[in-house]
Amino acid sequence: MLSASEIRKVVEERTQRQKGTGKKVVDVREEMEHLEAKGEIIIHRIRPENRPVSASTLFGWTKRIPTDRLWHHKSCGQCGNIPGYPASLLWLMNETGRSYLNEPHQTSCTAWNYHGTATSNPVALAAVAARNFHRAYETDHFPLIHCGTSYGDYKEMRKLLVENATVRTKVRDVLRGMGRELVLPEEIVHYSEWVHAMTPELLARQKHSVRGIVATVHEPCHYYKMVPEDAVYDENVYAGQRPAVPSGILMSLGATVADYSTWYDCCGFGFRHILSEREFSRSFANLRKIRPMVDEAHSDVAITSDTGCVTTLDKSQWIGKAHGQPYMLPVLADVQFAALALGAHPYKIAQVHWHAASAEALMTKMGIDWSTAKAEFREYLKALKNGQAPELLHPAHPEIETYFAVNKGQVLPEEAPATAPAEIVANGGGGHPR
Amino acid sequence: MSIVAHLPRRVLSLTEEEAASPPVMELTGRRRATSEERTVAETIYAEFRADPRHREFVLGCLNCGECTTGCPAARFYDFSPREMLQIAQNGDATTLWDAMQEKIWACCQCYTCNMRCRFGNDIAGIISVMRELSVIHGLESTRKVLAPFGRSLTLLMTVGTQVSSDMIQPDFFRDWGPFATGSDKVWDVGTDVMRRAIPSDVLHTTRSSWEVSVQTSLELFRIYEETGVLDMLRGLDPDLTEMLVDIIEERREEFEEARDRFRTELAGMHGPVATFMG
Repeated sequence: MLSASEIRKVVEERTQRQKGTGKKVVDVREEMEHLEAKGEIIIHRIRPENRPVSASTLFGWTKRIPTDRLWHHKSCGQCGNIPGYPASLLWLMNETGRSYLNEPHQTSCTAWNYHGTATSNPVALAAVAARNFHRAYETDHFPLIHCGTSYGDYKEMRKLLVENATVRTKVRDVLRGMGRELVLPEEIVHYSEWVHAMTPELLARQKHSVRGIVATVHEPCHYYKMVPEDAVYDENVYAGQRPAVPSGILMSLGATVADYSTWYDCCGFGFRHILSEREFSRSFANLRKIRPMVDEAHSDVAITSDTGCVTTLDKSQWIGKAHGQPYMLPVLADVQFAALALGAHPYKIAQVHWHAASAEALMTKMGIDWSTAKAEFREYLKALKNGQAPELLHPAHPEIETYFAVNKGQVLPEEAPATAPAEIVANGGGGHPR
Repeated sequence: MSIVAHLPRRVLSLTEEEAASPPVMELTGRRRATSEERTVAETIYAEFRADPRHREFVLGCLNCGECTTGCPAARFYDFSPREMLQIAQNGDATTLWDAMQEKIWACCQCYTCNMRCRFGNDIAGIISVMRELSVIHGLESTRKVLAPFGRSLTLLMTVGTQVSSDMIQPDFFRDWGPFATGSDKVWDVGTDVMRRAIPSDVLHTTRSSWEVSVQTSLELFRIYEETGVLDMLRGLDPDLTEMLVDIIEERREEFEEARDRFRTELAGMHGPVATFMG
């Protein structure tokens, strides 16, 4: 297999060689420009209001990462069983004053199901992607993808819609039937790329030192093995030989990122396996990932940046006791780890209690008083049970949005102040949890 | 006396009756396909080779085995991405049919094989094409493999998310332990309260990953109807499909009632809402 620098060299040489012939190494973004000029698609462009930051990809291409005015494309697995993952991301956006929409007018990418059961097809997957893209476009917020599989799938679907006129026509017809148009985002952006772009601002708010913490990174397969040319690489992270996310933020925060022999392996999620053949998922996760992380790297925490990976690596460990594998290595998403380092509440925000492997020893090492926080959380749960309104990171949605995708999204224009990002203020239900 | 003399006498050629009804097992130990199965296998093979993705995904094979050495499924199953690729490239109706009975479902869809392949084959992709065909043709083996997915398929088809917190409960996920499921045994409150403790109102539901608006749900189902996914599912599980149609019909009614209730606020609305409301 070629190294990342060898790949970049090949791409550069090929580009130079083919300049005179009119052929080129295809950058899908260039093809999108041609299609838009012909009136076939609309490009959802990153605008100055999105405050973009440039990054480099595997192929050495420049990718613009929007950091503001974002539309959260949530992940079904995260929201369903590790909700501290999206909550930490929203909290980091509040802390850094970024505006966003987190609304109910979104489906998942449906690719978990496709990779697990194949009860779909490329036209349906592309139509689902395009429906979500258009929804983000009509709210004038740029889509930010929470899940590695959604990110990989959307890159595939964008490429398919650009390259295949038949699929494009079918999808456009389906969308027209519901009053929508075919919109493709200028960039498909994974949330960990937002974290990478926001690193200086996050570091400025760090409250807990993570020096002395040894982290092992599991790189989500669908982040960099599907449509690999688009993944972000940085010369300062593994000398540009491995993806820059999520290792970069850990190193910047001061943690030691330790290598281990099976870094390249998948986590064992398997899409189908995690639901109906978990003996495979847990065997693979424990034997091929967690054990080397602990035995070889003496890791304090495993960090990853995808729904299925956090789920499999974390939740497979409890049963490990029955097999003589009592590792219980905490597994967190990069944003949970960063939020904890910036002072987020471990239970109200990072929601570490949904994880199977306890993060308490890790938090002690980070200097976090989790015991007091846990007692507070118990009291909070009692209060909720007795009818107290929940504390929210953004205003609650009006009832009408349970039914209709009102065009301006979460905050109607007449309700939003012209200057402040009204979407991120805490609602009257209980203030801004920390 | 030679030991051969003690061996039981065996018939070395088939009787006419035996020849007319061949044994269920072939000499390889493989179950012999029925004539109906052979017909379906030939149809599937023709459709597989005609799928436009075949010529895009299958480019050649050096036989280097890089795909299989990095494959997670190959470590635990009788499965090899190299074998799948070579069946896709050079196989016939029988080898394809055999692979589709079980092996294709071992693949983890991690794309590690794709990343390692020097030929640039999309091995995970061509396995997905095989899987799609097994669903479209409603193979019995596929029905069995996908039997546990009724609940997640229901969620996926009706609201477009894959899991819900009322699905991830200790009874079904015992191996995840007591902490991972929002169990009331740990915190002394029910799942509904645990969900309300998440600081975003759209995540408070226990019936889906997040609250999906009715309009979004109806738009999604329209996609499934118009792109053939519903028909695909009908071939696999007609009962489940009818149930999905009923659920969506209820959501349509809910949508209509809401339209009357919010008439004033919706007046003058443009874009997809207006189109969708006809």
